[in-house]
Amino acid sequence: MKPDAIWGRALRIQAVLAAVTSTASIIAWAATGGGSFWPRWVLFGWGTALAAQLALRAGLRAPTPRGRWLGAHWRLSAVLAPLEIVIWLLIDTPQPFWPGWAILGIAIALGVHILVQRALPPSREKELAQRVDVLTRSRRGVVDVQSAELKRIERDLHDGAQARIVSLAMNLGLAEQLAQRDPDAATELISEARQSALTALDELRTVMSGIQPPVLNDRGLVGAVQALALDLSVLTTVTADLPGRPAVPVESAAYLAVAECLANVAKHSQARRAWVTLGYAHGRLSATVGDNGVGGADVSRGTGLAGVARRLEVFDGTITIHSPAGGPTEVTLEIPCELSSQKTSPSSETD
Amino acid sequence: MRVVIAEDLALLRDGLTRLLKAHDIEVAAALADTAALPGILDSERVDLVIADVRMPPTFTSEGLVAAIEARRAHPGLPVLVLSQYVEQLYARELLSSGEGALGYLLKDRVADVPAFIEAVRQVAAGGTVLDPKVVAAMVTHHQARSPVDALTPRERDVLALMAEGQANSGIAARLVITERAVGKHINNIFAKLGLPADTDGHRRVLAVLEYLQNT
Repeated sequence: MKPDAIWGRALRIQAVLAAVTSTASIIAWAATGGGSFWPRWVLFGWGTALAAQLALRAGLRAPTPRGRWLGAHWRLSAVLAPLEIVIWLLIDTPQPFWPGWAILGIAIALGVHILVQRALPPSREKELAQRVDVLTRSRRGVVDVQSAELKRIERDLHDGAQARIVSLAMNLGLAEQLAQRDPDAATELISEARQSALTALDELRTVMSGIQPPVLNDRGLVGAVQALALDLSVLTTVTADLPGRPAVPVESAAYLAVAECLANVAKHSQARRAWVTLGYAHGRLSATVGDNGVGGADVSRGTGLAGVARRLEVFDGTITIHSPAGGPTEVTLEIPCELSSQKTSPSSETD
Repeated sequence: MRVVIAEDLALLRDGLTRLLKAHDIEVAAALADTAALPGILDSERVDLVIADVRMPPTFTSEGLVAAIEARRAHPGLPVLVLSQYVEQLYARELLSSGEGALGYLLKDRVADVPAFIEAVRQVAAGGTVLDPKVVAAMVTHHQARSPVDALTPRERDVLALMAEGQANSGIAARLVITERAVGKHINNIFAKLGLPADTDGHRRVLAVLEYLQNT
């Protein structure tokens, strides 16, 4: 339970207590034959306590630390100033109007606070500067990753599918010329062209699944990870409890990260069993990829996990690796995000 | 034979229609989405449904879902699912929608016209035809940790072809060995996997698939 909620509950209890004790004191005052209305001090005490707490609480709800203290200060002042007047009114014996001085003091204190706050270098700026550093770094990372990816895709298309389709067109052109003169040769060329078309299709499929596997679009993160687990030679259990789907870029990053981890399991771990747990709690999507292999996984070794870390940093995501020598290995990825409301299937075993 | 095609890309829909008509297969309807499919199946005699996996309105796996639902409403309805890519996950969903009369192929396979028409006829006749890519993935998935590991590479080839729905003669032709050799390999496979040896024909394909799916 959050402190604010606990405070809210305490305030309600105090209000009930205030009502009970005030009523009791008024009844006692009436029963003892009236006279000077002393229960006003009970009412005054409770009123002061509750008003001060409400003011402080409202002030502390401000989003930044700086605004928080000033907010609490001016709200408390707004309670205290009228309070002086109330005390002056409640006192039976006639007195000069001293609350004027008290209110002047409160106003001066508040004014000083405002001036000091305006003059001091705000800590918020420091926070922002740090944030800008992180963003600059992660943006540079994204640009690097993206341009490397684009270069790879361009090269794959250029050397693969495009080259095949060129040869296909050439073969068809030749076949067209030969169709009358040498039907046998033409038939052979056409069959070669068909083979080229099939190979081009295969290569296109490979390139596309590297960009965004179709099953991720069709079935979302859980389905895509299940499909991935099915194609793995290591027995892999997928457990998922996601109350919805994250935004497409987050989904894609999480999928690629899990895919990289599972590829590591297959390549390096010598594991017999692996498991993937997908979950969502406290505004964070988490994915844990574990295996019972040899352990010793490390971000600094190889580019795979470092690439995953860079990819996740873009979304303020984190990667935690627990992999002692001898295993087992557990890699946990966390990305803060929101989910859409669509419910996905709870869990499955892929063996 | 009367076929219903559900494929949203007009180019492929027309191409398929032309291809089937050229082989004396009647196309009862060629649909651009799955909405009208249940109505047609309820009112007409249809021997086979050919459906694309990804279709409108959401362009996810509508076609697959429609195919599975059609088989639920009409048990044993032959369905051939085509896709730009194949997933074991989808193959398993299709296989659990009922026994036999089932095909799941990459769209690329249409390029080999005789083989594609053969697959169409086989599925319509109650056979099971899975894309070699799916079968290969299923076999790989099992290699590391099951009796499939104990098979020789040749036996594994035979197992994969069996799972694709090939008969002994087809397997022999593909691997360039005699039918007798195929028979011997199959006996060895069935013994190593602990499958009943006396099954043949389509039942044999199912036994193999069930093995790959459940172990």
